[in-house]
Amino acid sequence: MGEEKQQNTGDSIQYVIIRIGSEQYGIDIKYVDNIVRTQHPTRVPKVAPYIRGVINLRGEVIPIMSVRLKMGLEEIEDTKNTRIIIIKLDQQGMVGLIVDEVREVLTVPAENVDKVSYDKEEKNHFLCGIAKYQDRLVSLLDLNAVVADN
Amino acid sequence: MDVSQYLEIFLDESREHLQNLNTQIMNLEQNPDDMDTVNEIFRAAHSLKGMAGTMGYKRMQNLTHDMENVFSEVRNGTIKIQPNMVDILFQCLDALEEYVNTIQETSDEGTNDNAPIIKLLNDCLNGGGDAAPAEGGQPADAAASAEGEAAPTGDAAGDSGDPTQNWKAIKLDDSEVAVLQEAKNQGKNVFGLTVKVQESCILKAARAFLVFKSIEEAGEILVSNPSAQDIEDEKFEFNFSIICITERSLQEVLDGVKAVSEIEGAEGGEIENPASMLKSSNGAEETAPQEAPKEEKKEETKPAVAAPAAAKPAAAKPAANAAGGDKKPAVSKPIVNRTVRVDIEKLDVLMNLVSELIIAKNSLVSASNTDGEKAGVNEHIEYLENVTTSLHESVMKVRMVPIESVTTKFPRMIRDLQKKLGKKMELYITGEETELDRTVVDEIGDPLMHLLRNAADHGLESAEVRKERGKPETGSIFLDAYQDGNNVVIEVRDDGNGIDAEAVKSKAIERGTITPEQAEQMTEKEIIQLLFLPSFSTAKVVTDVSGRGVGLDVVKSKIESLSGEVEVRSKLGEGSTWIIRLPLTLAIIQALMVVVGGEKYAISLNSITTIENISPKEIKYVQSKEVIHIRGNVIPLVRLNKVLDIESTKGPDDDLIVAIAKKGDQLAGLVIDELIGQQEIVIKSLGKFIKQSKMISGATILGDGEVALILDANALI
Repeated sequence: MGEEKQQNTGDSIQYVIIRIGSEQYGIDIKYVDNIVRTQHPTRVPKVAPYIRGVINLRGEVIPIMSVRLKMGLEEIEDTKNTRIIIIKLDQQGMVGLIVDEVREVLTVPAENVDKVSYDKEEKNHFLCGIAKYQDRLVSLLDLNAVVADN
Repeated sequence: MDVSQYLEIFLDESREHLQNLNTQIMNLEQNPDDMDTVNEIFRAAHSLKGMAGTMGYKRMQNLTHDMENVFSEVRNGTIKIQPNMVDILFQCLDALEEYVNTIQETSDEGTNDNAPIIKLLNDCLNGGGDAAPAEGGQPADAAASAEGEAAPTGDAAGDSGDPTQNWKAIKLDDSEVAVLQEAKNQGKNVFGLTVKVQESCILKAARAFLVFKSIEEAGEILVSNPSAQDIEDEKFEFNFSIICITERSLQEVLDGVKAVSEIEGAEGGEIENPASMLKSSNGAEETAPQEAPKEEKKEETKPAVAAPAAAKPAAAKPAANAAGGDKKPAVSKPIVNRTVRVDIEKLDVLMNLVSELIIAKNSLVSASNTDGEKAGVNEHIEYLENVTTSLHESVMKVRMVPIESVTTKFPRMIRDLQKKLGKKMELYITGEETELDRTVVDEIGDPLMHLLRNAADHGLESAEVRKERGKPETGSIFLDAYQDGNNVVIEVRDDGNGIDAEAVKSKAIERGTITPEQAEQMTEKEIIQLLFLPSFSTAKVVTDVSGRGVGLDVVKSKIESLSGEVEVRSKLGEGSTWIIRLPLTLAIIQALMVVVGGEKYAISLNSITTIENISPKEIKYVQSKEVIHIRGNVIPLVRLNKVLDIESTKGPDDDLIVAIAKKGDQLAGLVIDELIGQQEIVIKSLGKFIKQSKMISGATILGDGEVALILDANALI
């Protein structure tokens, strides 16, 4: 899967739809730098358990983390669908997120995106909104919450 | 004219000139009568003004201009350098530096006029008494020469009478004629020149300035019309005339002038008889009726010329602003990238190496095509290795700059401190030529400044105390830099009081940093180490120089972030020495590759002294910690697999492989599972996301694409 970077057209936002466990989530494409197949990471000692280690992405050393572990799910073996989404954040720089599957890219009009109010339920903790696409509802991942260390 | 493309050069050169001015003014303070220094300062100030003017930085230009005036008077001997003047000059330099910094960040000089400093400078001038009239005298001269133009001399007959259009029309007064006559008697040439600047030229003053400079290289300018002042202020049309004294030929002088760009032409001739150019008072009287309308005409044209001249720099500035405009929001990021000036020879070496690299690549390609000859490939690989190693070395050399670029500002700082603290001190710097990686040099300035301030404030005693102790009244601070193997060592040493370990100890107990019981057990050395802890300051009085307790720990962390280390040696009553040890380069290091629990790690080879095979029987226990005894040293063992949270692949009865690491004079034995060997590695950062522990200083990418972590042996000891 190559780069799927496209400019957001007009008032619509593009989301990369990923799967973790049985749930699907959307990641705003503007944060996505790259999507790569899994590779064996180098373990980094004395760090949070959800940090798998570091990988070499074309000469750059990039830390990768398991979204599953971070969300409190059980870790599973990598499958042929497992991918690493390399995201680029202002604060943390490049981080690779290990996800179970990358499904598609959806273009959602901006007015179909609703912010979720933060109710202290654990599950909503990583969400920043809900997007309506045709008759589907897609939960949108709050990347800052995903990479925040706690 | 868009000058933004020259911004980098401008900033670089301004900094150089400012540094030069700082140094020279320091000199001047020592030897107020040294004319060479005054001339040097004048030249630097003049160039700075010219550059600021060219770039359209009016405020900076004004300030430099006033400073230059002061030096011009000093040079003429009308005023003398006073100590308070030196202070004003330093203030002025600080203000100029402020301009340069603002320009670097925003490409605009800001709005600070620095009026108080300009006023102080002018006070200096007026304090000199007769200085001002001399300035005012010149335009009057020009007017006087204009008066005389209706009385053409024999030479000028038939030529245009405007002295700006034709040098032959320049009128001289008695003293000037005398100077010319004397020069002629000494066998020097006296030439008159008329220079025409292209009408399309926007910055005429800058071009004229270059012309002046070119002529001054060849000789001396006696008279110019319009006056030098008016030319600088762009109060001239497109022509100006000069009379100069030189030892060179007319052609040489003219060639020099024509070499300046945007100069349309220059013509000149020898002045055979200077006396003929003497302005005759009779002549002026005869033409008096005629003169009045002429003067009026002059008055008319002058403002007309001045107006566009003033408008143009103003127009140039918005252009510069506009160029910088879109970048402006990101104020935090300087508009101009950092540059390194590279010796062309170093570049040549690089170029040669790259061509060798290509040759090596080609021979490898051809070797791989002709199969069956394995030996040939090995040879080529060896060759390739040689080339890449040399290439690496020369690239490193290109990045190296002498630490001089930071140390040059220290004498000035010590001078200021001397005044502020009321102590007498002298700074001695050696080894400024020692080279370090540019990134390190940029970062090392602040920590060094801190240590110097500390030495001046805490280290050195006051003059009275020094006298009592039988030391020379003037304290000495030494800054020595030298290369030591793969490290550069910078020492800051003073002959002051040294560190009072008892005072540190009681302070540490008072602050609760350590308990009295702990203090009992600590050696003097360990106690002195406490100084590097955050918020620890022993200064009894907090001054604005030092003593806020934010100093030494910042110094330490800064130097550690550069993969360096700092240590202190002190003898009470005799002084202290701060030793900073920095790696020559940060990007590429020689590393020892090891395996621990199946994982590959790199350890900087600098910190490894030896590698030993140890039988488990040799392990002894001291305070239930594992140690080994090697050649008279008791060395504590560090089991890397435990530190790294991984199972060792070795059994408990297998011999241990121990890499002996050294930090200062401490040793530690790092227990590893397997040795791979020595390798040159490129250091990569792990990024901000992972808050790695201190013992991991980065990562590197191995030949097979795998990532290996770099262990910092210093953090393990």
